[in-house]
Amino acid sequence: MPSPGPLRFQLNGHPVEVPAESARILLDLVREDLHLTGTKRGCDLGTCGCCTVLLDGRPTLSCLTLARLVEGRSVTTIEGVSPRQGLSRVQQAFVDHGATQCGFCTPGFIVTATALLRDHAHPSKEEIERAISGNLCRCTGYTKIVEAIQSASREGV
Amino acid sequence: MHLDPFELHRPASVDDVVRLSRDLAGGFDYLAGGTDLLPNYKMHLNLKPHLVALEDVAELQGHTLARLGAMARLADLETDGALTAAYPSLGEAVREVATPLVRASGTVGGNLLVETRCFFFNQSYFWRASLGFCLKADGDRCHVVPQKEKCYATFSGDLAPALMVVDAEVEVAGPDGRRRMPLHELYDLGGDGIRRTHLAPGELVVAVHLPEASRGRPGTYLKLRVRPSYDFPELGVAASGVFEGRRVRSLRLAVGGADPYPRRFDALTDSLVDTELTDERLQEFSARVERAVRPVHNTFLLPDYRRRMVSVYVRRALTRLRESAAS
Ligand SMILES: Cc1cc2nc3c(=O)[nH]c(=O)nc-3n(C[C@H](O)[C@H](O)[C@H](O)COP(=O)(O)OP(=O)(O)OC[C@H]3O[C@@H](n4cnc5c(N)ncnc54)[C@H](O)[C@@H]3O)c2cc1C
Ligand code: SF4
Ligand code: FES
Ligand code: FES
Repeated sequence: MPSPGPLRFQLNGHPVEVPAESARILLDLVREDLHLTGTKRGCDLGTCGCCTVLLDGRPTLSCLTLARLVEGRSVTTIEGVSPRQGLSRVQQAFVDHGATQCGFCTPGFIVTATALLRDHAHPSKEEIERAISGNLCRCTGYTKIVEAIQSASREGV
Repeated sequence: MHLDPFELHRPASVDDVVRLSRDLAGGFDYLAGGTDLLPNYKMHLNLKPHLVALEDVAELQGHTLARLGAMARLADLETDGALTAAYPSLGEAVREVATPLVRASGTVGGNLLVETRCFFFNQSYFWRASLGFCLKADGDRCHVVPQKEKCYATFSGDLAPALMVVDAEVEVAGPDGRRRMPLHELYDLGGDGIRRTHLAPGELVVAVHLPEASRGRPGTYLKLRVRPSYDFPELGVAASGVFEGRRVRSLRLAVGGADPYPRRFDALTDSLVDTELTDERLQEFSARVERAVRPVHNTFLLPDYRRRMVSVYVRRALTRLRESAAS
């Protein structure tokens, strides 16, 4: 099987060039080859949302994305959503509202919520619930997560 | 879970896709959004040595009120208010597919050709090896209906019934050129459940065409599932039609999530046209639809419950259409 050349794309605003076989999954590439372990592997099958990244700005499941198909595109992981110092408004709201417990699902929620608030500055409770309906949390019971996102939206993004 | 190696192809036109499909002679799968194929590949279900990604084929992208490209993303249909208002059954179905994260990648073509589901099939290689493989992957017998000829895995796509009731047509391309057929004729109702469509080897779906005559016609899609946020349908009932008061002027009904294929019930619905749909007739009609579907025990909910829910959902769907005419 011919080995494809290096894969080039924008990762968190920086160009990267990395070897990637055809069968390499974006989640594995990001975690294992690029050592950005903020993006979590939960189910690995599309059901939990822990692996969410932004692909050209749109929340996307990295566990169901072939790495080669992001060639020339822009990928933002939880590391790229967080400011260099401190926390983003959404992250701070999660802390303030106790919206994170074990924390495993949190990067996925933060990425999804950040995209939601970018597109809808003041979503309703229903819009928030719908937007996060592909992210699973086994700890918090969601109430505090919805409250955190509501509060971040009130502060404006 | 890492994927076994395969070669990835990225053709840029439908002609190139067709040429590749001829060269690879069946040893490949098409890859659209990958939200169905890649989980199956991770579970080692029917792996092929080549994947042909449709992502770069411009002709397959995007949608209008008259045409859904095969690669149109479900998330983009869902947020197009003009489209979902023009075809209410489609509007209601598309927002019920999986989760917003899956819909961001999932496509129209992939949804129409989504792999059928069964709890003896959608399992890891280890799980399946322990029990003994089945007809649909690696084995020679069915664990649900014990015999060796036919697979009864359930068709679990939401869009097909919703599009059938608006008389959608599907355009396909292959080594013998292009053709168009009514969407409900895409599925092979007499097949063995493994080969499930009338697509010739190598044929791909190019687009779905939506007739102007159906635009704005009242319609609905009702989905039975366990967790409303993302489960596959255990039953999906789509209806579209025009009522004058209780009088049926036109009516289409399609059911998915119950049999190995989605299907319309034209003989039954035609018998209602130009009649008054009273509550008694509706009761009788829904019982006839119920008798025509045969769910088997291969999904989460018990088949007897799913079957009985057919008449409940048919009644709800038609009552909704009748009431929208009255208001
Ligand atoms: C957690 C989860 C929940 C889900 N829930 C639902 C649900 O509720 N309802 C539902 O309908 N689906 C559901 N799905 C399945 C799937 O996400 C959708 O059906 C989706 O629309 C499939 O589209 P895709 O582009 O990702 O398909 P892919 O995975 O890329 O392809 C699916 C199949 O179609 C073939 N194919 C794709 N495009 C073409 C084409 N143009 N021509 C010929 N063959 C083609 C592929 O070879 C493959 O066999 C779910 C998936 C997940 C992971
Ligand atoms: S219905 Fe039978 S053959 Fe088909 S997937 Fe299930 S066990 Fe396998
Ligand atoms: S790890 Fe991707 S959805 Fe669960
Ligand atoms: S905080 Fe533990 S899964 Fe969400």
